[in-house]
Amino acid sequence: MKDSLCGTDKKEMTRRTFLKMAAGSGLLVGLAGALSGCAGQGGEHAGGEGWLPYQYNVAGNLPAQVRGRIPIDADNPSIVRDDQKCILCGQCLETCQNIQSVHGYYDLPVIDETICVHCGQCSMACPSGAISERDDTQKVFDALADKSKYVLVQTAPATRVALGEEFGLPPGTWVEGRQVAALKKLGFDAVLDTNFTADLTIMEEGTELIKRIKGEVKKPLPQFTSCSPGWIKFCEYFYPELLPNMSSCKSPQQMFGALAKTYYAKVKGIDPASIVSVSVMPCTAKKFEAQRPEMNDSAEYWKREGLRDVDVVLTTRELARMIKQKKIDFAALPEEKYDSLMGEETGAAIIFGATGGVMEAAARSAYFLITGNQPPPLFLNLTPVRGLTGVKEAAAEIPGVGTLRVAVCHGLANGRKVLDIVRAGNAPWHFIEFMACPGGCIAGGGQPRTAVPPTDAVREQRIAAIYKADASRPKRMSHDNAEVAALYKDFLQHPMSELSEELLHTEYHSRAEKLKRLFALVG
Amino acid sequence: MASAKGVLVDITRCIDCESCVVACRLYNGLDADTKGGAKPRQTGKNELAPNRWTVVRDNHVQKDGKTVRRFVKQQCFHCVEPACASACFARAIQKTPEGPVVYNEKLCVGCRYCMIACPFGILRFEWDKPFPRVLKCQMCLSRVADNQMPACASVCPTRAIVFGEREQIVQEANKRIAAKPGLYINQVYGAKEAGGTSWLYISDVPFEQLGFKTNVPEKPIPEYTWQVLKWTPGIFIGWGALLTGMYWYNKRRATVHNEEELYAPVDKK
Repeated sequence: MKDSLCGTDKKEMTRRTFLKMAAGSGLLVGLAGALSGCAGQGGEHAGGEGWLPYQYNVAGNLPAQVRGRIPIDADNPSIVRDDQKCILCGQCLETCQNIQSVHGYYDLPVIDETICVHCGQCSMACPSGAISERDDTQKVFDALADKSKYVLVQTAPATRVALGEEFGLPPGTWVEGRQVAALKKLGFDAVLDTNFTADLTIMEEGTELIKRIKGEVKKPLPQFTSCSPGWIKFCEYFYPELLPNMSSCKSPQQMFGALAKTYYAKVKGIDPASIVSVSVMPCTAKKFEAQRPEMNDSAEYWKREGLRDVDVVLTTRELARMIKQKKIDFAALPEEKYDSLMGEETGAAIIFGATGGVMEAAARSAYFLITGNQPPPLFLNLTPVRGLTGVKEAAAEIPGVGTLRVAVCHGLANGRKVLDIVRAGNAPWHFIEFMACPGGCIAGGGQPRTAVPPTDAVREQRIAAIYKADASRPKRMSHDNAEVAALYKDFLQHPMSELSEELLHTEYHSRAEKLKRLFALVG
Repeated sequence: MASAKGVLVDITRCIDCESCVVACRLYNGLDADTKGGAKPRQTGKNELAPNRWTVVRDNHVQKDGKTVRRFVKQQCFHCVEPACASACFARAIQKTPEGPVVYNEKLCVGCRYCMIACPFGILRFEWDKPFPRVLKCQMCLSRVADNQMPACASVCPTRAIVFGEREQIVQEANKRIAAKPGLYINQVYGAKEAGGTSWLYISDVPFEQLGFKTNVPEKPIPEYTWQVLKWTPGIFIGWGALLTGMYWYNKRRATVHNEEELYAPVDKK
């Protein structure tokens, strides 16, 4: 419209036009900047220099020295790890690789399981306590509270020289009597001894050895001991071709479990289904062993589904926890004795807990089984197989057979050395004892963590206690165990009888398809 | 100018020890949420979360007629051209020259565009916080800037996680595949996905079986933005010109109309 009424043609700057102009020019500058790609593309970050939050410039809680850790599967029956405690120090790797020769000795990729022999040595080396045994104490408390259950417990040879350490006693304190008293206080219906089946193992395993030597059993020599479940799984993984050398005898724990629900139930007139068979072991691998599917011979014997030879396995540490939970003053307990029928022990059974002990016990009874005479004093103090040397050898003259050559090794890396010799066909031995843990069961993966990492000083004190107890026993040979003799007379008839084979012997399965083994460490 | 770093994850070498997961938590000071030794997997929560920037996922897959287990470490891929950063108008997520794609909570407005933009679905939002953040792996930027491995790579006991220049890492991946053609499948995941990522994977089973997204385009996601945005100036100027023309046309028509009315001959009636 024409602005002629004001009488001038000059445009006046009104507030409205000014604002329109300012907005328009701003828009133009912005548009030009955006189109040319200049605006907002300057060298500086939004937020200016040092825009990164402080959080990303500090090392948090990661320790300076980190090495990673071993894999532990979520359904590992023996050990568990608390991720919150793990500091990635690498002690478990070190143990698994260099002491046990498991980690690093199989090729990657993995196949379908996490390779573990359940020895629990990693839990002994773990400085922050992140790795520990799978806690089964609640199962035992539940069973003890159930009045319809007959809860019996067996205790391994090695727990009685270490349990006291959890209660402030020095390493190697002999607490056999107090352990029995504590178990009775906890409410177990029967407190029995794995030493009974250790003696039984010697009768079976010694007989098997003699039959192999004489050629009555068509199985190769040297014969391997089969008491250590960690060692057995190791052999199944890494040396399956040597499984025929493995004694078919079950471990003392499993022999005990099979007899508890057959022989013991029969003699005592107890329904085997109401028996809860608990064992106290220095070992985490025993938890795995008890879960092996074939370990249900009592079910086969009674033709009843669902019976397990051993229901719950507790480690020494778990037993200590139970005693503490019930506020029992362990150190002040009176000494008590094992219950009868499956509670007698000899010196030979006690030394099962130390490296070389199975071999020494076997040698004592093998002499007797071959010659019918009691062995000479040398066999009662077989020093070449004692001590903490990694691989030990001994030879003993047995009339009628000649020289019996034996080897003893402990720690699976030492076992590997011996196995490589056997695999190459250069083994001069008749009988080899393997124990998965360095020092034997007395330093098993379920024992009190008195020294972390475990030291030879503690091992030696526990071993000394074992041999001291052996020397002080009136009976020091397995074949002298009266309850074992009664068991053969009343139930099994003789070593390696048909019933013995059914209840006390087992078979092993190659686990070669679970890994691609390597014979040397990969870098 | 630092050259961009990269990390190779060799899935065939992972043994599921989860050292990397613990190292990540320790280094970044994240809250542990596993109580009493239960692994996240046992509680059914083995997923990325605001306080779990990396996880190892367990896959049961078929290989040569047998079921095998393969473990996949999962974390931010740190794309060479990250979509999350291009979507962030607050510039709270930025690509650093060293390679890591880094988030700064002080700049974040919480719009979660980045979460929609991410082709791998990695970012996690703190839904339960009054001032929530969007969290993900930072690739240990301050370590990487000093040419140190990220915390997770530094603790890997089997060397399944390898750190280096991204170009070298791609070469290493191809070298490993070439060395064992019978083992690996011939693909480096992350070499081309989403225009390339700083974290690369090689495997002996096809990636789609391991939960990897295989439908990710090979073109960088931000490039799709320009397919649309390049029309903006044309539309802006064209639309403006059209409206201006219409304005002038209408104005002229009104003027002519008014003049015709003013100067029209008086009706002779």
